[in-house]
Amino acid sequence: MAGPAQGSNDAKKAAVNESKNGEQPLAPEKKPAAQLEEDDEFEDFPVEDWTEEETQIPSGNTHLWEESWDDDDTNEDFAVQLREELKKLGK
Amino acid sequence: MQSALESFHEAYASGLAQPVAAFLSPIAPINASNRLYDFARASSDDKIEGDVRYALKYNKTTRMTNKECGAWVDIIVCYWRAVKEIIKADKAADQSRTGDRQYLAIYDAWKDLTSSFIKHISGGLLPAWAIFTLYFTANHLRKIAIKTDEQLAKSKPAVLNTGYSDDIASTTPQNQKLEEAARVFNRIFALCLGDRNQDMSESRKWGVYCIANLQFKTYFKLKAISLSKNVVRSIEAQPDLPSFELYPRAHRVTYRYYTGVLAFLQEDYAKAEQSLQGAWESCWSRSQQNKSLILTYLIPCRLITQHKVPTAGLLAEAPRLQRIFGPLVACIKRGDLTGFDKALADGEPEFVRRRIFLTLERSRDIALRNLLRKVYLAGGFDDLKEGQTEKDRIRKSRIPLAHFVAALRMGISGAGSGQALEDEEVECLLANQIYKGLMKGYISREHAMVVLNKKGAFPGTGV
Repeated sequence: MAGPAQGSNDAKKAAVNESKNGEQPLAPEKKPAAQLEEDDEFEDFPVEDWTEEETQIPSGNTHLWEESWDDDDTNEDFAVQLREELKKLGK
Repeated sequence: MQSALESFHEAYASGLAQPVAAFLSPIAPINASNRLYDFARASSDDKIEGDVRYALKYNKTTRMTNKECGAWVDIIVCYWRAVKEIIKADKAADQSRTGDRQYLAIYDAWKDLTSSFIKHISGGLLPAWAIFTLYFTANHLRKIAIKTDEQLAKSKPAVLNTGYSDDIASTTPQNQKLEEAARVFNRIFALCLGDRNQDMSESRKWGVYCIANLQFKTYFKLKAISLSKNVVRSIEAQPDLPSFELYPRAHRVTYRYYTGVLAFLQEDYAKAEQSLQGAWESCWSRSQQNKSLILTYLIPCRLITQHKVPTAGLLAEAPRLQRIFGPLVACIKRGDLTGFDKALADGEPEFVRRRIFLTLERSRDIALRNLLRKVYLAGGFDDLKEGQTEKDRIRKSRIPLAHFVAALRMGISGAGSGQALEDEEVECLLANQIYKGLMKGYISREHAMVVLNKKGAFPGTGV
């Protein structure tokens, strides 16, 4: 009886080890989350004033915003899918 | 002392606030890391006042009245005392035994310096530009206060708290020094706003916005954001301020950012958008941190006001923006409700912390609108009648409710959540969309049909 119990314990340990190993690569990703607290404040600008050329405007405000829907997103596929779905419902 | 004050004389001769503020800095310049040490060593407690007075009075380059000279003596002596405390703390840190005492001593000395500045400016003894030097000094006070509070919180972990009732969150002892500093900033603000000098070129009114910004930063840090409204109200009630556009951009952009966020938190999205857009346009293009903070509020704002989303190019401005908004925006565009809910849940801690969760939650309506719109587009067109051409084609405006139900279920079953969705629930969602003006039409319950407006079923979306 001791044999199998031992075995399953070993298996558990192995599983634990494995999950630990699996988690390790994630560790560095956690760091930025902790640092987030720091970057909440609006920084003091290092200079008092600047020219219009140094603002956001010269880079142009076009193409910064777009409509919220996407008609290129293969409407046909959706229509086909929808029809399939309606068939399934038997309607 | 004469040589230690050489850089003060140079700075003073420039007639500018910043060089003098640089002289009165608690941090040694990078290229002269010993400056604070040398300055502290140049005199001693009992001689400092006489030394500074002598050095200022008998300097040939700097001309100032006796009264002004006295004011600067006061200020520089205060500064010397603060530097001495900084050096003491530095030495303690070298022996790794810094404690509350050192922090408190620096804070108190720096507060004395700030108060002395206020006293002499309000006495009219200093040149007009000195108000900006005071701003820099006060900004240092803010940072020192924050550090001191952090140190105090570390050594006395909230034991004192028991005496307070639970609901007074803003008066927790952890922020004692910053709260004290906030009162100092109030005095400076009043000093700027209430200046009666008719000569605008000499007015302290030019300091109004930068001090207001200092107050905003302090109140946000103290989590007493609503106090900022008093500042805004005072400014708006002041009839004789110089035109906003005449202030330096650093003041304007920061002020617009904070007033934008304030309006955002009060759900006045139109006003928030205007302020934030102004801040964005004038922001210094190299200030990545500030640009992404502005966008953090402008993006949710614009989703509500104009139903617009940022382009990939705009999100690429900062990796943080892509991480925060990327998944959500993609789901909105696809009309993917399950994905939207997941992205919202995944980002919840950060959204809540940045106070944008509730606003983003509202944009689920846009994701739903986009899904319903897809159903409408998938329905195709009515057959052409006699004499009609391709141009006259009209989309089918009567759509069985079942189509919408099926579309909504597709998303849900795809996720394998096993969630059931009742027909009535879908009807309710549609009715809400119609009520909110996102969709035009009505539901015919009798025929289980949705009848959409032939001219613009989904206003503003081209169909």
